[in-house]
Amino acid sequence: MSSSPFHASSVNCPGPIASNRRGFMRFGLAGFASLSLPGLLRLRAGNPENHGKRKSVILVWKPGGCSHLDTYDPKPEAASEYRGPFGTISTKVPGMRFTELLPKQAALADKFTVLRSMHQGAGGHPAGSMQMFSGDSDTRDKPKPRLPDWMSVVNHLRAQQGTRSNPLPRYVGVNPPTTYNGPAYLGDAYAPFAVVGDPSSPNFSVPNIGLTNAKDVERIDRRVALRKNLDNLQRAFDTFGELDALDQFEAQALTLLTNPKTKLAFDLTKEDEKTRDRYGRNSWGQQLLMARRLVEAGVEVLTTSLRGPLCGRVNNWDDHAVNHHVFDALRFRSEAYDQAVSALIEDIHERGLEEQVLVVVTGEFGRTPKINYQPSTGAGNASAAAGTKQPGRDHWPRAFSNLWFGGGIETGRFIGATDPKGEDVIQRHCGPGDFLATIYHHLGIDSSQVFLNDFNGRPTPIVDHGRPIKELVS
Amino acid sequence: MAHFLRSCVLICCLVACLGKADASDDIPFSFENDIVPVLTKAGCNSGVCHAKAGGGQNGFELSLLGFEPWDDYEHLVMAGRGRRLFPSAPDQSLLLRKASGKTPHRGGIVLPEDSNGYQLVKRWIAGGTPKGDSTVLVTNIQVIPQSNTIKPGEKLQLKVFAHYSNGMSREVTDLALYESNDLGMATVTDGGMVTALDLPGRVGVMVRFQGLVNVFNAAIPLGTASVHPEPLNFIDEHVFRNLELIGVGSSRLCDDATFVRRVTLDIAGRIPSSTEAREFLLDDDPEKRSKLIDRLLQSPSYADYFANKWTALLKNRRDDASDITSNFAFHAWVRDSLLANVPYDQLVRELLAATGTVIANPAVAWYKRVKEPKQQMEDVAQLFLGVRMQCAQCHHHPFERWSQDDYYGLSAFFTRVGRKPTGIQGEDLIFHQRGKAEAKNVKTGQMVTPVALGQDVGVIAPDEDPRLRLSKWLSDPGNPFFAKALVNRYWKHFFKRGLIEPEDDIRDTNPASNPALLKALEDHFLSSGFDLKELVRAITNSRAYQLQAVPSDSNLVDRQNYSRFYPRRLQAEVLLDAIDELTGSTTNFANLPLGTKAIALPDNSYNKSSPFLRVFGRPESLSVCECERVQSASLAQSLHLINAGDIKSKLSVAGGTAQKLAAQKTPVKDRVSELYFAAFSRPPTETELQISVEFLTGQQSEKVDSETLPEITQQQFEDLIWALINTKEFLFNH
Repeated sequence: MSSSPFHASSVNCPGPIASNRRGFMRFGLAGFASLSLPGLLRLRAGNPENHGKRKSVILVWKPGGCSHLDTYDPKPEAASEYRGPFGTISTKVPGMRFTELLPKQAALADKFTVLRSMHQGAGGHPAGSMQMFSGDSDTRDKPKPRLPDWMSVVNHLRAQQGTRSNPLPRYVGVNPPTTYNGPAYLGDAYAPFAVVGDPSSPNFSVPNIGLTNAKDVERIDRRVALRKNLDNLQRAFDTFGELDALDQFEAQALTLLTNPKTKLAFDLTKEDEKTRDRYGRNSWGQQLLMARRLVEAGVEVLTTSLRGPLCGRVNNWDDHAVNHHVFDALRFRSEAYDQAVSALIEDIHERGLEEQVLVVVTGEFGRTPKINYQPSTGAGNASAAAGTKQPGRDHWPRAFSNLWFGGGIETGRFIGATDPKGEDVIQRHCGPGDFLATIYHHLGIDSSQVFLNDFNGRPTPIVDHGRPIKELVS
Repeated sequence: MAHFLRSCVLICCLVACLGKADASDDIPFSFENDIVPVLTKAGCNSGVCHAKAGGGQNGFELSLLGFEPWDDYEHLVMAGRGRRLFPSAPDQSLLLRKASGKTPHRGGIVLPEDSNGYQLVKRWIAGGTPKGDSTVLVTNIQVIPQSNTIKPGEKLQLKVFAHYSNGMSREVTDLALYESNDLGMATVTDGGMVTALDLPGRVGVMVRFQGLVNVFNAAIPLGTASVHPEPLNFIDEHVFRNLELIGVGSSRLCDDATFVRRVTLDIAGRIPSSTEAREFLLDDDPEKRSKLIDRLLQSPSYADYFANKWTALLKNRRDDASDITSNFAFHAWVRDSLLANVPYDQLVRELLAATGTVIANPAVAWYKRVKEPKQQMEDVAQLFLGVRMQCAQCHHHPFERWSQDDYYGLSAFFTRVGRKPTGIQGEDLIFHQRGKAEAKNVKTGQMVTPVALGQDVGVIAPDEDPRLRLSKWLSDPGNPFFAKALVNRYWKHFFKRGLIEPEDDIRDTNPASNPALLKALEDHFLSSGFDLKELVRAITNSRAYQLQAVPSDSNLVDRQNYSRFYPRRLQAEVLLDAIDELTGSTTNFANLPLGTKAIALPDNSYNKSSPFLRVFGRPESLSVCECERVQSASLAQSLHLINAGDIKSKLSVAGGTAQKLAAQKTPVKDRVSELYFAAFSRPPTETELQISVEFLTGQQSEKVDSETLPEITQQQFEDLIWALINTKEFLFNH
C-alpha cells in the first residue's frame, strides 16, 4: 500500500474502531462490510467533539445546465451563430472576462475560482447528472442512479466515524436536487433531510423541527417513554442492525423535533435585514442564505437547487428553443442568480467560513455553443408564443464552467480553457471523477482508497477515475 | 461444461491434468494464449484502465478483459509499434515501463520486473512480438478442487487448469482471476488461496481465465452439534440436511401467535384482526396451521398482495393522467389471474404474446409501458429468467457465458411486435407483424434470428408470432431458468433471502446457497403445473418457514441457511394498512372506493398523494428489480411516525379504536388485551399489562380493581396505540 497523504493524520482519528465500537456497529454488518479497515483509517476524521470545525460543502446546482458561453466563458470573437448577444465585461481578475449578465460576481472575482474546462460524457439530463453526482460513466439515461451521489457517500462515511452530537442532520437539502441522484445502494438512511418551498415566502415553514408547544413536546416524550417500556421483542436476531438503526433514527428525529437549536438554525428572521436584502428577497437568495446559516450551525453537506419560476417558463435551465428563448431566459434569471451567488461569496468570506466551507456552483453540463433556432412550444416567461421561432441552446457535456470558492482554495483564478467556439476543452481537462475527488479531498476523504459495497456486495470505488484538481485544493 | 466436469471422476481427471500440465510445451505459443492472460491478470484491460468499453486511458485501448484478442494484437503491435514495444530493447517498451512503474503510471505497478508475467512479455517483445499459432484455443477451465469443506479460519489453495482444443492442458493458477461471491464468508488472494471466515454456509469463488468461468464451491461448517425439528415436507429435508452438513442448529418452532401473524402478513399482506388471532389461538385442530394457509390463499387479500408485487415489477406506472384506464385494467387482469390461480406459465404467455387493445386484452398494457424490443427482452430476461443481459449488449458478459449474439438472439423474439394507433391517445393496438424475426448484432453487423439463450427454438415461419415460440420455450420443463427464477423469487418473499441472491441474477458463477433445495422446489413447481398457490402452500407449511426468529446458541451467526426466521420490516403498503387496522381508520385514495387497502392500489400514482407510502419506500415501478423497493429505516420515517399529520389524525379519528376504547365500559385489562391481540395477535404479558394499565390509569396495576371502570381519556389510548405501532414487534414480521 502506498502511503496516503492523510496517513499521518489518521493517528489522530479517535475512530470508531477502538473507542466506539458500538457506535461503529450501529448500522450493522452491512455497513461494517462496506468499508475496509484501511479505507476507514484513510478518512481524515475531524475531532467529533468539535463539529463546528468539520469541513463542509455547499453544492449550488443549476438543473438543466447553464450556458457557459453566455456566463463564465464568453467567446466575443466567435461568429454570431455562436457568441450570443451579450457583451463582455472585465472582472477583478486580469484577463478573465464574463458576460454582462454577471456584474456583481465580476466585481468579486478575486474571491472565487472559475474552472472552464469541466467536461463529462453524457448528453442527457439523467446520465449527465449522474456523471456529476456519482461519477457514473454510463452515458445512457437511467431513471434512477446506479451509484450513490457524493453527498450520501459522505453522509455514510461520516456516520461510520461516530455519533454526532450536533442536533442538526449532517446532510440537508434546501430544495435539493433529487431527480437524478440519491443514495442508491447506501439506502435512504443517507438521503438528505430535505426542506422544500420558497424560504422567502412569509408562509414558509420547515415541518418536523423545533416544536414550540410544550404540551406537544411533553406528549411525544411520554409516548416514546412508553414505547421503550413496551418494546420487548427479543433483539438477538438483529444481526443486520435493523433494530438499532430504527432506534438511532428515532433518537435523531426526537432531537430535531424538540431541540430549540434546530428551529433556530432554519429561522431566517434571525438574520439581519441587510443580509437578507443582500442575498435577494426571492427564493434563490434566501435558499443560499439558509445554506450558509445551516453550515455555520454545523450541517456538513448541503445541497440547493436553483430552479422554479425564477428560471423562466419551464422552471429550470434547460434552454432549448422549444422551452425558452435562451437569451431572454438567461437575462430573466441573471439578476437573482448574480445577486444570490455574489452574496454567498461575500458572506462566506466575511464570516470567516472560507477555510471550513467549500462552495461549488455547477449544473450537469453546458449548452451547445452553436445557437439553434426552433419554434417555441408555448408562451411564458422568457418564451415567445407557441410556434414562434426563437434561439435556443441544447445539451453540451463536452465543455462547461463551474465556480469554486471557500475551502481554503486559492481564489482569483481561472483554470482551463475551451477552444475559440467554446466547444471543446483545450487545456486542463477535468472530468466528473476529478470533480468528485476534489470535493472528497476537501472533506478529508482520499477517494482513490475508499470502496463501498453495492447491492451485489461488490466493492465499488467512490470515484472510478479521477484525482483532486490540484488548483482547487488547499 | 460444468456438468461435464462434475460427471468426471475427479481422481482420473486430476491425474490426467497433471500429466499434461507438465507438457505445456505441447501448446504452441500464441499472443492470445500467452500474452493476453498476463495483461488480463495485471488488470490492464479492466473497465477502469485500458478497456475500450471504459474509455481506454490515454488512448491505449484493449478489449474488455481480453475477450477480443486479435483486436488487441492489432492495437498493441500495429498501432503501438515504435512506442509501446521496442523489440531491440524490450525493457524500454512503454508497455513494460508503465506496467513496472519505471515510467509514472496512474495504475501503479502491475507487473514488477521480477514477475513471471513481465519476463514473458519481455521475451515476447524481444522475439519480435509474434502473433503465434491462433488455431489452438482454450476450450474449458477446471478448478481443483471443484468443491470442498473449509473450516472457519482455514485456507485452501485452488489449482486451475486450462484445456486446449488440441487436447493438451496446462496449469494457469497464477494467471487466473479469482473473486469471492461473499466477502463476509470467504476471501481469496490473487494466487487462488481461499480463506474461510467465520460465517457458516456455502460460498462460491469465481475463477476466470480467458473469457471462461468456473466456480469453486466451499461449504464452511460451524461444526456444532445440530438439532432440528422432524421434517414435514421436502423443503424441510433439504434445509435441515444442509444445516446438518454445516453443523448449524435450528431455532425452535414458533408459537401459534407468531405463526398466525407471520403467515397472514406473508400471504395476504395484512395483520390478522384481533378476532382472527383469538380464534386461531383457541382452535385445537392439529391441522389448523395448514387450514389457515388454505383460507388465506383463497382470500382476495392474497390476490391483492401478490398483484401489488407483480404490477410494480411489470412497470404498471402512471406517467400521464390518461394512463389510468390501462393501469386499472392491467392491475385487474393480474389480480384476477392470481385469484383464479392461473398457472404461471400461462400467465406469462398471456403477457408476452399479448395482442389487441387494452380494453379487449389488458395484458397488452405491458407493451405500452415497455416499448423497445431490447428493453422488452432485458425485462423478460431479468424478471422471468433471472438473467441479467444488460452487459451483453456491448460486450461479452465478464462473469457469464452470454455473448452479443445471445443478446440480440433473445431480443429478436420481440422484433415482430406491430403497433397501430387507436382512437385513444397513447394506446396502440398490438399485433404480430408478419415477417422474418431478426435483430442486428451491432458489433458484427450481422442479422441474428431468434435464439433462446443458446438454445435452438427452430425456424420460425414469417406468419408465426415469435413470442409464442418464446413462451413455449419458457414453459418447457427442460427450461433451465424459468421455473428456477420464480421459485427463487417466491422463496425470497417468504424467507427474506433468495437461495440465489440477488434473486434475479442467476448464473453459473453465482451459486445457490442450497442447490438441492432449489432443484427440489423447481421440480415441485413443474410437477404441480406451475401452480403458484401450491408453491406458497409448500413453503408456508414447511417447518423451516415456521421456525422462530430468535436464534439459538448455535445459529446466531447464520445469515443464509434458514436455521431461523429472518425478520423483515413491513413494507410501506402493508404497514399503512396495519396502522389503519389498529387505529380503526381508513386512508382515502383518489378514484378508488372508500376503504380500498394500500396493498390493493393499482399503480404508483398514489405515492404522490400519500407521503407515507413514499417515505416508507413504495417503489415507483421504474425497474424490473425488486431492489427498487427500499426497506431500510430512515430519519424521514421516524419523523413521520412521530409527527406527521396523517398519523395524528388516524390515532384520533372519530369512531376509531382510541375513541371506542375510551368509551367502552369494560375492565381496563380487557381493553389493553384487545389492543395487544389487534397489534400482535397475542395477549399481553403480565409486565406489559402492568405497564399499560399504569400508564392509562396513573395507578399501580395491582390497585386497579378489575371490576371498577376508571375514567380513561381517548388521548391516553391514542398514546398507547402510538407506542404499540412504534414497537419493533409491530414494525417487523418476525
